[in-house]
Amino acid sequence: MTPPRKLTSWLIALVALHGIVAGAGFLAPYDPVEQDRDHPYLPPMRVHLMDAQHHFHSRPFFYPLRLREGSFDQYQEDTAAAVSLRFFMRGADYPLLGFVPCRWHLFGTDGARIYLLGSDAYGRDQLSRILFGGQVSLLAGLLGAGVTLFLGALIGMTAGYYGGWRDDLLMRAAELFLALPWLYLLFALRAFLPLTVSPLEAFLLVVVVIGMVGWARPARLVRGVALSVKERDFVRAARGFGASDSYLLRRHILPETASVLLTQAAILVPQFVLAEMTLSFLGLGVPEPMASWGNLLASLQQYSVLVSYWWMYVPALAIVPFFLGYLGLASALQQRSGAYKIDEKSSWSPT
Amino acid sequence: MQPLLRVENLVKHYAAGRPAPKDKSAALDGVSLSIPARTTLALVGESGSGKSTLALCIACLEHPTSGSIWFEGIDVVALDENQKRLLRPRIQLVFQDPASSLNPRWTALEIVSEPFFVQGRFSKQERSDKACTWLDHVGISPKMVSRRVDELSGGQKQRLAIARALALEPRLIVLDEALSALDCSVQAQISNLLLELQSSLGLTYLFITHDFAMAAHLADEIAVMDHGRIVESGPAEKILRSPGQDATRALLAATPGVPKTQSTLVNF
Amino acid sequence: MRYFLRRTLHAVFLLFGVSLLTFLFSALTPGNYFDEMRLNPQISRETVAALRAQYQLDRPLPVRYAHWLMAVAHGELGFSFAYNSPVGPLLWVRARNTLFLTITAMLLAWLLALPLGVWSASRFGRAPDRVLSWATATLLVIPDLVLALGLLILAVRTGWFPTGGLASVGFENLSPLHKLRDLASHLALPVAALVLATLPMLVRHVRASVAEVLEASFLRAAVGHGIPHPKLLYGYALRAAANPLISLFGFSVGTLLSGSLLVEVVMSWPGLGPLLLEAILARDLYVVIGGVLLSMIFLVSGNLFADVLLYWADPRIRIAASAK
Repeated sequence: MTPPRKLTSWLIALVALHGIVAGAGFLAPYDPVEQDRDHPYLPPMRVHLMDAQHHFHSRPFFYPLRLREGSFDQYQEDTAAAVSLRFFMRGADYPLLGFVPCRWHLFGTDGARIYLLGSDAYGRDQLSRILFGGQVSLLAGLLGAGVTLFLGALIGMTAGYYGGWRDDLLMRAAELFLALPWLYLLFALRAFLPLTVSPLEAFLLVVVVIGMVGWARPARLVRGVALSVKERDFVRAARGFGASDSYLLRRHILPETASVLLTQAAILVPQFVLAEMTLSFLGLGVPEPMASWGNLLASLQQYSVLVSYWWMYVPALAIVPFFLGYLGLASALQQRSGAYKIDEKSSWSPT
Repeated sequence: MQPLLRVENLVKHYAAGRPAPKDKSAALDGVSLSIPARTTLALVGESGSGKSTLALCIACLEHPTSGSIWFEGIDVVALDENQKRLLRPRIQLVFQDPASSLNPRWTALEIVSEPFFVQGRFSKQERSDKACTWLDHVGISPKMVSRRVDELSGGQKQRLAIARALALEPRLIVLDEALSALDCSVQAQISNLLLELQSSLGLTYLFITHDFAMAAHLADEIAVMDHGRIVESGPAEKILRSPGQDATRALLAATPGVPKTQSTLVNF
Repeated sequence: MRYFLRRTLHAVFLLFGVSLLTFLFSALTPGNYFDEMRLNPQISRETVAALRAQYQLDRPLPVRYAHWLMAVAHGELGFSFAYNSPVGPLLWVRARNTLFLTITAMLLAWLLALPLGVWSASRFGRAPDRVLSWATATLLVIPDLVLALGLLILAVRTGWFPTGGLASVGFENLSPLHKLRDLASHLALPVAALVLATLPMLVRHVRASVAEVLEASFLRAAVGHGIPHPKLLYGYALRAAANPLISLFGFSVGTLLSGSLLVEVVMSWPGLGPLLLEAILARDLYVVIGGVLLSMIFLVSGNLFADVLLYWADPRIRIAASAK
């Protein structure tokens, strides 16, 4: 495939993935915080078309699970009480795109709840939580990358364009930040800030903290661009008309940094989503009851969950297609800009 | 009648350790010259002789270490940034390589409108109209006006650079090797354009080149530069026929197309 | 030589900067170790105040920093509030465990990456190479957290490996051979997680560097001389491709202490990672600073080490450096 097509196909894939998560309200059958204490840790249920008497039904249905006789954690299907799925039904409220209230869901049930990916300790539907959790985690990653790139661009342009003591100071600071172990910095930054805050505050805190950790590398790259562009004659010419520094930065230098910033974005977003997951997994990120991919995995820290409830691991897999998409996009972008080299500095692992 | 531009003992040293701008790192070692209005002075010299550094200083894009530059009777070196900004429209620069002096992503119209945009005095329509007028002046047809720079030929790009330099109606235009990167036939076209513009608009040129033939074609006076100083200057005819200095002779000998007389032969 | 002196000075400066930053940071943020205590009505205000005075938490920041610097000069790293013991020995034990894990993982990863990368490069573009590229791409796409948790679940459900800790109960009573086996079984999971996390990138780097070199004409000349294939690959090609790999190796050394934090926490390996996490959560200031500093020393030394190795291994760099 020629590069432009590759780029487009990765972009399409990513947009589709993000679309699925953005449509969490529609695709998820239930509200992510709705509890059902009677049904904790139910394993994933199967959807059937053929019932126990080998009759074919045109409408998919499922059997609710019932505890097996004499056991307290083994379930079996209750073949007497089939419940059909309904499509395009009204269910729990959710904010479409964050602010428009809507009640339409792709599918759902009347009566017993269907747990396609099982339920957690409080009987909450894992599928719904994964979809909604994705919104939180992805948003944290995207916003965090935004903060980092903004900081990096600002600092890089200042250092590269003005030079002098500003450059020295900022690049020393960048070295310091680059030298610190990424994860340590993240934890320390987060943990030294107030631990008990509201979910929204916690989320914003996570975004800001993540954003402030990674500015050094983009800053260096932007600085390089600024250094080379400011020597170009068209910048000199513009100064010859009496252009101010801010004009030059805005209209000549900033556009040249676009390709660098884009590539960095493709590399940083998944790293930052992972950072949010790590923080939340360890209890330093998004708190209950808000769902995020990280805190959905937190229960795995208990031995009992590890042993008996394997479906609690599924949220971890949710990020894999996104990583794939972003990795593909990043390498397609690098190929297009001609800077294709496997640079250990642009590798995936955070440290 | 005072000359339009007078340079007196201009010295420019680049401080050790601080990187000098690429390609323009030659120092100036006491340069003096003067250009009467509506004439062309050609500054000839080898690479590294300091020509471009002089051009940048005159256009107020570099700060000389010492010496003075008098433009229309004003000492520009002593001006502060705001005052310089008022003066800038009157002295413009055309660079050698249009690939780097024009932002390749912009269209021709945007390039020539930029000076007006930066000056901030005109509405969008005014900018567009004025830009189109100048583009027409340099011979770029209205069809090419919305083409991007990287879609234009070398000659067209340089015309564009000239149009941009003319936009603010300067009195002095410094052309730093402006024709050197062009093909011979294109050079001829553009140099004729320059001569036309000079007579119709009353421009003064400082034409920097390493090519004596071009200098001969365009200049009223020639100054020869070597290692940061002017070694010889005078009317063009005189320099060509009887060069006084070795440096001049060496340059003449190296230039194809200039008729070589007895006195131009260099003793090796 | 002067170059290294300068770099070492630079590194020391960096360490100072980091320690200052961490100190400043902890002071500017709300909360300290004794906040929990203050909330507890059973402990009197005076006790808390006395404890704080004992740990000098009520002195101004520059004073505390100066004290700490002096202590470091004497080789002491401060005092842990939570563990009620000096920080030094605490860090040392945990760091030792971490190094045990990471050195094993690093050696294993490199021992696997080199042959895999070289082999892949020698069959560039053909089926085995494509398969390996796909495998590394797949692994790369799975983040460390997911990998570690996945391995953990595997272990738990199959029961093949213990799921935490360094040694089983009753370790001391085992025979040496059994001790080794026990250790190995505890190491297996965390090492696997670390190796799987770092292997793909390493293999890619080796493959890329060697592939570039295989194009070179001096190798074709060597083939013409009839040098056998394996010797060609390892003796000649790998040596020529070594530079970026040596730098990479140096960096790997640098991350020996800090790279395994997540794996240690997930797999309950008693290393520096869990200690630091606890300390951060409990606001145990000196443990945090000591831990961060220790990791930083490794990181910075790793970079220096990479430079030294490069200098030693590549005569061209030696010549260039002495020419300066």
